[in-house]
Amino acid sequence: MVRTLERHELTTLGRGYGVLGSGGGGTTTMWQLILAESPLWPLTVFGVEDLPDETPCVAVAFGGSTLLLGERIPGDAPFAPLVDAAERWTGVRARAVCALEGAGLNGLSPFSLADELAVVDADLMGRALPRLDQLTLFVDRVPGTVTICSTGADGVVVIDTARAADVEKLARSAIVQAGGMSAVLVAGFTVGDLREHAVTGGLDRAMRLGRAFEHDGAAPSLPELADALAARLLGVGRVMTVETTPDDPFASTIEIRADDGALLRVIARSETLAFMRDGQVESVTPEIIVTVDSLSRSVLQVDGFTIGRHVAILALPAPEWWTQTPERLATVSPAAYGLSGLDGPCGSDGLPGMGGTP
Amino acid sequence: MTSELDLDALLAHPGSGGVRVVAGSSAAPWTRVDVEESVADLSRSVASALAILTTSWPPASWQQDALIRRARDLGYRAIALPGADALRAGGRYLAERLGVVLLETDDPIRLAKACWELLEGRDALTLGYVRHVAQSIEYHATGLADLLRHLSASVGHGIALVDAERVILQAGGTLPRAVHDAIDFGPWLDTVSVEEGAASSVLVDSPSRAGLRLAFFGDGLNAAQLGALAVAAEVAMPAVAARILIDEVADVNDAAVASGLLRDFVEQRDGRDAELEQRMFDRGWRTTGFHVAFRIIGRTRVDTFQLLRFVTRELAALPGRFHVATSGRGITGWASFTSPPPPGVVEDLVASLRVVHASTRRAFNVATGVGALHSGSPGLVASIDGATDAARIAATRSSAGWFVRIDTLGLEQLLLSWTENDTFIPAAASLLGPLLDGPPDLLDTLTAYLDHESGIAATAEAMGLHRNTVSTRIARSQEILGLDLSDAEVRLAVHLACRAVRRAPDRTTTRRHRSTS
Repeated sequence: MVRTLERHELTTLGRGYGVLGSGGGGTTTMWQLILAESPLWPLTVFGVEDLPDETPCVAVAFGGSTLLLGERIPGDAPFAPLVDAAERWTGVRARAVCALEGAGLNGLSPFSLADELAVVDADLMGRALPRLDQLTLFVDRVPGTVTICSTGADGVVVIDTARAADVEKLARSAIVQAGGMSAVLVAGFTVGDLREHAVTGGLDRAMRLGRAFEHDGAAPSLPELADALAARLLGVGRVMTVETTPDDPFASTIEIRADDGALLRVIARSETLAFMRDGQVESVTPEIIVTVDSLSRSVLQVDGFTIGRHVAILALPAPEWWTQTPERLATVSPAAYGLSGLDGPCGSDGLPGMGGTP
Repeated sequence: MTSELDLDALLAHPGSGGVRVVAGSSAAPWTRVDVEESVADLSRSVASALAILTTSWPPASWQQDALIRRARDLGYRAIALPGADALRAGGRYLAERLGVVLLETDDPIRLAKACWELLEGRDALTLGYVRHVAQSIEYHATGLADLLRHLSASVGHGIALVDAERVILQAGGTLPRAVHDAIDFGPWLDTVSVEEGAASSVLVDSPSRAGLRLAFFGDGLNAAQLGALAVAAEVAMPAVAARILIDEVADVNDAAVASGLLRDFVEQRDGRDAELEQRMFDRGWRTTGFHVAFRIIGRTRVDTFQLLRFVTRELAALPGRFHVATSGRGITGWASFTSPPPPGVVEDLVASLRVVHASTRRAFNVATGVGALHSGSPGLVASIDGATDAARIAATRSSAGWFVRIDTLGLEQLLLSWTENDTFIPAAASLLGPLLDGPPDLLDTLTAYLDHESGIAATAEAMGLHRNTVSTRIARSQEILGLDLSDAEVRLAVHLACRAVRRAPDRTTTRRHRSTS
């Protein structure tokens, strides 16, 4: 389905991608400011079925620190050198572009190439994920893909390997070389590949999620908001402490005293990964666990858990693509993040999350 | 026999591996204890149970939450594990919220053993206590207090030797008053449990001290523990009774030795005897320095050994160094100073001795004399002599509260004190015998005459008699006695004899004594 995106819908779309970020993915403010100046409005977005299967496609995103994007403004065409490099390497010029990460600020990345390439409503994550080896194309081992990263000073690195772990490591080096943030592009696939090996309809979903926050009169209550988001309201309460996990400095545990007296815990790395109520696991990745400020209803990043803040936590269903096979699920389950004991939200025998170890 | 285990009993068990409550409080007792490596090994428990885990917490707080929740969902109402202290506020809150007691234990295996003893192995519990009692008897104890300390340390509970009124001795804690009051002093064995604590006591079968009980006590002890401790008390009791006897024999012996040594020292006077000095040195008696002696004598018959015990205990509360020994019908003691004490210190000492005297009088009918400050070995003898005289005077001085200090005495009183000893009074009675048998006016007139410097006129005026009556009576007295009062020595002797005989408590007794001897 071909759809037209109006300029005024940009904020809604940005907020929707923020929700899909699950506490990570970065804020879309910078892209919204850049794209608002674009002369191309209204923008056309194609569904994967609207383009011929053999259309060469690329996926783009910014990798590294999303915070840096607020300080280092990307140039006019941050992905252009990468698209050129992909053409030189694959021998074909891409004619379509999709998001590499359909969440957070990267949900809006493809629109920076809208003047040259057809924007396709598909992405390789369907939510925010921290690593490049968690791309749907890599999980399904789609052959012929190539990953290109900018390395700063107009340089690019082309990573051509069938081993996803290598992509993650090498791209990470390129990102460090580029100063902590760099443009990343995956090429070597077609729009037809996206039907099977990508999460489609993410933009549609983001629009729906973004609209759920909009209201004419009084702000909707939290249960109403949850309904509008098709989410479960996990808990509402005040942040008591934020602790670093002793054996994993990148994992933090947020203690929330719920309004109903329960002890809530949010376990997060760069995204929110799990939620527990009174020691019982109630939601884990790949479910999208979203935290909003109870008062302002703004969608919080993980670093927005500040002591004393009153928050509401919601769980959105995981993109179906990830739950279709055990292999896919294993790539995005808590164990993939090094968190043991959280798999199987309610355990095999109905007991709380002490089910298995990775 | 109940097969329940409660938190208090577990906390009271000495061999529980250092168990402490980290969060939660016990409501219902536990009926089962399971020991596993980790929470994943626990299986569903139908009853309210205690889970003992041998591995510590997982590191992350959410993992700790999950552990608590999982154990709770499996039916466990308490979890004990090493390192439970590390649980942060959130976890403690969750435990309270879920009604789970969290226990910290240094040694889960010992805790498991303790639980087993309390739940199933009652005999093992008893046997453990008895073995500990036996172990403590094995070690040398220097006294009863030491023996009680050993028993308490070994058994792991407080121990007290009590009579109906008070705690004689205790070790390893303080027996709460309420528990003491609850103890029944009648039966052979008694176990009490009140809110303030619990105790198992046994009658002490001691010939010298009746009505004593030996009690093991503690807080939170359950019936099983009290039963086991009662057996332990029964086993420990003979050792305690024997110790009481041994200590008493040793005390009596020691007092006798000290008494003999003091007698030797006082009798030796100025002579120096190296062997005697060594013996005194061995006892810690220093003759060098400055001494203030005191003597406490019974106005009626007293048990000098009990008096010594009592006074020694009273003196122990005072600052300074005291030496006390039984001597004659009382006890003699002294305080020593290495340098000349300022007058204030001596006054304080005398004031303290007055306090000791007052408290001693509550138990014994005694009189106390305090000697003057003297230095060196002869000085000590002199001070003791002074104290002895003062005590003798004090025995008749109710107005002074039966307490006399030699420094405050006049020469006359001192002289009189000499005339009141056992040999002088019969002698005086013998000297004045013919007068005593007659009417009292002759002796009274003679005494007044001698008191008034042999002046007839002054005597007549003092007695309200005519001068001729006085001179007649004196002449008759001289005639009856057959003595020449113009002789100065005879006059002094008769004067003293008059005083002594008139002051003697019962002149008729003296008279009868004389007539029957």
